[in-house]
Amino acid sequence: MGVRDCSAYTAAMNDTVASASDLPPPVAVTGRVPGNAGTWVGIFCVLVEFLLLFGVYFVAKAHHQEAFLAGPDKLATVAGVTITFLLLTSGYCMVKAVEMIRADRRRATLGWVLGAFVLGLGYPLVKFFEIRWNVAHGIDGEAGIFYTTYYYLTLNHLVHVSWGLLGLIWVAVRTALGMYSPRDYSGLEAAAVYWHTTDVIWLVIFPFFYVLR
Amino acid sequence: MGHAEKIWLLLIGLTAAGAWLAESGQSSWGLSLVVAGLIGTKGHLVIDHYMEMRTANQRFRRLLHVFVVLVPVLVLLSHGFSDVLKRLTTIA
Repeated sequence: MGVRDCSAYTAAMNDTVASASDLPPPVAVTGRVPGNAGTWVGIFCVLVEFLLLFGVYFVAKAHHQEAFLAGPDKLATVAGVTITFLLLTSGYCMVKAVEMIRADRRRATLGWVLGAFVLGLGYPLVKFFEIRWNVAHGIDGEAGIFYTTYYYLTLNHLVHVSWGLLGLIWVAVRTALGMYSPRDYSGLEAAAVYWHTTDVIWLVIFPFFYVLR
Repeated sequence: MGHAEKIWLLLIGLTAAGAWLAESGQSSWGLSLVVAGLIGTKGHLVIDHYMEMRTANQRFRRLLHVFVVLVPVLVLLSHGFSDVLKRLTTIA
């Protein structure tokens, strides 16, 4: 390599170093387990349970393609979309709650947990009105295989969301009593990761019944 | 706007896209592909950013990602091979 080539190489390297330093630092993988071990046993059990239920959905769909083609048209899409918005926004509140306790802002933590709870409570409320609307339009558990599967999966999800809501009440009480700190907030984080898991499952259920044909 | 707010907005936007599809979609490979993409993308966003698994235990993270990869693959398989699935699950 000649002198000229060498200086061109150095200049190119300098450019590379300069552009690399402009990049954000890489995210450090700490390997920690958010929350606590017990919650993760529950989370993986729930995920396996819903994978099996999704298997039921796929088999039913394969056997009754016409019913699954027409089924979503009769459901109130607005209910499914509203539930999705409520769960995602409630999940965002729990992200902020964890952020706040790390910053030792306990009143703000309580505010975000209560926000997550109130938004989460909107889910059973919307579900109540959706089912009332369904029944008024002849969509009950005997309206056909699509609707049977729809009730089976969505009500099962609602049960899991109810556990999450009870968890949020528990976490709110403990936050109000000052039982979490920046050094120990595993209970709060455990409730948050479980709550986000119900989001992940709903993000599958929503397109299955309201979007896919 | 903070990181959490950006992720929330992205998730809401993707949900709105799904809602639009719900109103206008018909059974097709295109719809199944978009739905599979939406499930995978939204699931990835919640797992890595809401649950903070990007920096957490990577074995747990991979297991969670299996869920949001497997389900979209099943969506596509069920669209393309529903007759095979029907045959396999028929009790003679």
